[in-house]
Amino acid sequence: MGVPPLSFEQVTVGDGTPSVVSLEVPGHRAVCVLGDEASGVGSLGRYALALDRPPTGRVLVLGENLAELPRRAALAFRRRVGYLPAGDGLLQNLTLYDNVALPLRFGSDRSEIDIDGRIQVMLTMLRLQHVAKLRPARVNEEERRRAALARALAFDPELVILEQPFDGLTTRAAAQLLELARGGELAVGARRSVFIVGQSLPEVLKARVELRYRLARGRLEPEN
Amino acid sequence: MLAPIAVIGTQVARQVARVGALARFSFSAFQAWGTLPAAGRRVARRVFLNQLWFTALQAIPLVIVLSSILSFLVISQAVRELGRIGAVELIGTLMVVAIVRELGPLLTALAVAGRSGTAIAAELATNKVMGEVDALEGMGIDPVHYLVLPRFGAAIVSVFSLTILFDGVAILAGLVAALANDMSAAHYFDIVLRSLAFRDASVTLIKGLVFGTIIGTVPSFHGLAVRRAATEVPIASSHAVVGSILAIFLCSALFVAVS
Repeated sequence: MGVPPLSFEQVTVGDGTPSVVSLEVPGHRAVCVLGDEASGVGSLGRYALALDRPPTGRVLVLGENLAELPRRAALAFRRRVGYLPAGDGLLQNLTLYDNVALPLRFGSDRSEIDIDGRIQVMLTMLRLQHVAKLRPARVNEEERRRAALARALAFDPELVILEQPFDGLTTRAAAQLLELARGGELAVGARRSVFIVGQSLPEVLKARVELRYRLARGRLEPEN
Repeated sequence: MLAPIAVIGTQVARQVARVGALARFSFSAFQAWGTLPAAGRRVARRVFLNQLWFTALQAIPLVIVLSSILSFLVISQAVRELGRIGAVELIGTLMVVAIVRELGPLLTALAVAGRSGTAIAAELATNKVMGEVDALEGMGIDPVHYLVLPRFGAAIVSVFSLTILFDGVAILAGLVAALANDMSAAHYFDIVLRSLAFRDASVTLIKGLVFGTIIGTVPSFHGLAVRRAATEVPIASSHAVVGSILAIFLCSALFVAVS
């Protein structure tokens, strides 16, 4: 067994009744943690990427504790992880195309032609070509979420963290989004490891999320 | 008995902490010049040019109007009044000291702070509230590199260039005022150029750079200081403008004291 792509070790989350979370996201699996807003479930993704620091415990991403890395190293390391923040986090003054291209333009030495090639693949895969030149405010919520996922997958990461990815989406759109995040199937499971946090998971997606947990009343309990 | 002192002390400590945070932020903006990754330069350059368009080019008409009206009024009044007592030569000093050296950089900076400072603060605060700043961090992009550095650079270049424009237009508007009051162009330029020393020009240009630095950092600092509430956006804009204006006036006074 290799190093798990993501592991939480005695991490405290939540305000009212804090929970101590110890959890591993195994390779090639989709794992989801559900809970209401007060449970602090929304912090898990941010802790994983060291955007916030947990009061106690530590989080290892691909074997590395980002919170202990120097800022520049932590920024560079985050490019190895796909991150879809709650909301979508798209930059409103850029077109969807430029939003998807941004991490590649800023974080790689690829030429503009190479970047364009990669973006066209992503846009086709996520069915965004017809709205690629529009800004986020001019497209619907599903298209924004798809664009945010395309941006998260720009570097083809082995781990993807999704925060409330299915809120406001139809079941069909949510299913497509999950499949794209998984990145296809290998003999051992999904091509990517996927970590989902949110308040609910559509019923039809439960079969495609191998490990499901619920965070409530200060405890993390498996659902399946 | 001690309660009022405690309240004052707390306020003072809070303000000092805020100034300290602003100083650290300014330092990190300067530092970002050197740490911008090679790949990010192309993107940062594009944002910089957009900011330059908004902050400098779109402000040109405003600066021309301000400068020409101010200079025309001051010089025409001065030629008339000083002419009565035979001291018309003093318009050179008036033009160089009052307009070129003091009011030129000051009014340019105030115009840019009011126009672009609010926009920078509101834009960055909205970026923060909409989760765009966190998304950038999550993608491995330093928000200082992508959001702050281009605005910082554009503000410096803009205020510097607009100050030169302001002073140039002021001298020409002064000429128009002089001609309208029966003074020859040769006489006007002779008086003004005799009063204009290298030191005045350098102080003006240094002021342009310093005021540009203030407008590049103070609004960005306040914009990124908001948390996640949309109601904080107008507050950040207001703090940005007040903070910038205060800093510009303090620096202006400091320049007078030092020079």
